[in-house]
Amino acid sequence: MKNVKILVVDDEENIRLLFKEELEEEGYEVEVASNGYDALEKLKKSRFDVVIMDIKMPGMDGIQALNEIKNANKDQPVILCSAYGEFKQDFSSWASDGYIVKSADTGELKQTIRNILNL
Amino acid sequence: MNHIDLLGKIIEISHSNLELSSRINSILNIISQDMQFEEVIVYTFDKDKRLTCRFVNQKSALFKILNQYRCHIGEGIVGSVAQKRSPQYFTIKNVSPRFGCLFYPELDGLLENYRTFSFLPLSDDSYLYGVLVLCSASKEAVQDPEKILLSILSREVGGILRSFELIVSSKKRISELAMLSELGKVLISNVEPYELLKNLALIIAKSLNASFVTIKLEYALLKLDSQRYTYGIVDASVKDYIEQIEESAIRLLRVVSLKNCAPDQLESFLKYSLYSAPIASKNRVLGTITICGEKTTQPHSLEEDGLYIINTIASYISSGLENTLLNTRLRDVVRELTDAQKRLIEQEKFRSLGEMTANIAHEIKNPLVIIGGFAKRLARKMQHDRPTEDKYITIILKEVERLETILNEILNYVKESPTIAETCNINDFLDEILYLLSTGISWEQVNIAKDFDAALPPIVCDSQQLKQVFINILMNAYEAMHGLGKISIKTKRVSYNNQPFVSISITDTGGGINPEVIDNVFNPFFTTKERGTGLGLAISNKIVRNHNGYIDVENTIGKGVTFIVYLPLKNNMKEEFL
Repeated sequence: MKNVKILVVDDEENIRLLFKEELEEEGYEVEVASNGYDALEKLKKSRFDVVIMDIKMPGMDGIQALNEIKNANKDQPVILCSAYGEFKQDFSSWASDGYIVKSADTGELKQTIRNILNL
Repeated sequence: MNHIDLLGKIIEISHSNLELSSRINSILNIISQDMQFEEVIVYTFDKDKRLTCRFVNQKSALFKILNQYRCHIGEGIVGSVAQKRSPQYFTIKNVSPRFGCLFYPELDGLLENYRTFSFLPLSDDSYLYGVLVLCSASKEAVQDPEKILLSILSREVGGILRSFELIVSSKKRISELAMLSELGKVLISNVEPYELLKNLALIIAKSLNASFVTIKLEYALLKLDSQRYTYGIVDASVKDYIEQIEESAIRLLRVVSLKNCAPDQLESFLKYSLYSAPIASKNRVLGTITICGEKTTQPHSLEEDGLYIINTIASYISSGLENTLLNTRLRDVVRELTDAQKRLIEQEKFRSLGEMTANIAHEIKNPLVIIGGFAKRLARKMQHDRPTEDKYITIILKEVERLETILNEILNYVKESPTIAETCNINDFLDEILYLLSTGISWEQVNIAKDFDAALPPIVCDSQQLKQVFINILMNAYEAMHGLGKISIKTKRVSYNNQPFVSISITDTGGGINPEVIDNVFNPFFTTKERGTGLGLAISNKIVRNHNGYIDVENTIGKGVTFIVYLPLKNNMKEEFL
């Protein structure tokens, strides 16, 4: 699992920290970005197996960033992540590969990643 | 007895307090006894203006025969006396066998018993009321003084007949006025149209002694349960003619009787007379009124005066009825508008509230995820030999979970969730929910009484969403009763705004809701519980409205609350599947 790299994009520093620690514990290599631009820069420099993308962010929001990423590389897996489930019905139309509602319980997040990686 | 005494006696009777017909009968008996006339007969006019035997002395032998025949003015001796208004006297030698107007074969043998026949008109200066006929078996001729006496007596009897006429017609007038004043009171009473029809029909039927009165509205603008009200019992023999006669009345725009619209022989065959009149205002027909009465020979009966009376009634009630109908229509429209406005305001409130709530929830959610997430990490990293710290962390995690649940509920309420349409049998559906709930131990003390309409047709709905509604209402009932009491659940088919609905009413014995706050129960975030989001009923209401239904609350303070959910039988919900 050492080769699996994950990018966590969220404007909340402590969310980034939580996800990073939780996912590193699972054995993934985790990098973080604080907004859409930051994420696009990181993706240009290196390859990530999965991107975890918050939707509501200042600057470039998650949906915009998702479109940019998919335009550049439509095979790049991206999981949308939001504080509320309101957009859950729409995620497929945004061409994302998954949608999770943020929760203190990170079980759903981990399972979605495993699904995408076929683990 | 001399003539003066006789006259005195008769005048005394004539001015007594006796009933009019007894006065006449007494006078005729006195004339018969004291003046030796075996037959003293009074002819009066009947409803067809024909002369008919009406009064007679007690011992009369001819009455039985004569009362079978009626004659017109000018016909026979009686008719000609009436026409000329002058008395005629005959003896047996010169009387014609044509006593009345026709040849009465039954009279042939009888007339020979009498010696004289006298015919006197009963009239005052202006009006003729009838004819007095006297036959005597003993007098060979009527002498002049007797003729003078008889002419005085005939004037007296004529006077009584006139009073009779006046009293009957004023009685009729008074009862007519009384009826119209009753109708007037009803017309301005501002009751619902159906109640109005009922009262009108009742008053008319009672005043006219009618067999039945039926009022039918032709006013489609009002959504009434029934456009017709009938008071009284409709006889099977006339039942079929009601609609026919109503149609004719509307078509001809005037009063019609059964004669006008049924075959001739039928009218005489029936023992009822039937009249129908259009109730028409300036420019439209509002309906019809139909009155049915049993045929009698009574003067001023419905049969005789029906056309006149029904005409009076129809024109009298038309404007009042129109006002009531317009009023009701106006009230309906105003109510619809007010409802629409209320809904609009409510929607607007919900929308802004929804946006605000979503924002707040979002802002709270992130810190919550962080607190909860790290608390979980902390719990995992903790050595399990520190029970106090363990307990604290468990509390933190539990509270985070609770907060998350509340946030989810709020967000659930705010977002519009699409409905899934499926066919569902409400009774089975309720049974299933009740089974789920009542198998819990805490429901042991709750007595559940079901009264389901077995013939309830299935409805189209989103059963998952509706389940939430009924669970909400049932849980509220349970909590209001603190788990001890009776919950009654009733389903039936009802009509709501003239549309078929299924109603599900759930009644608890939890003491009711404070009337000051009853209007708030459907408002989001309103709660009377110590721990409640105040979203349960708000969400329920929203779900039912999405089903084109309604929720009503009936509150009985001290007893309990009934929540009634109305769901349309024919739902035009779009069939959407997720």
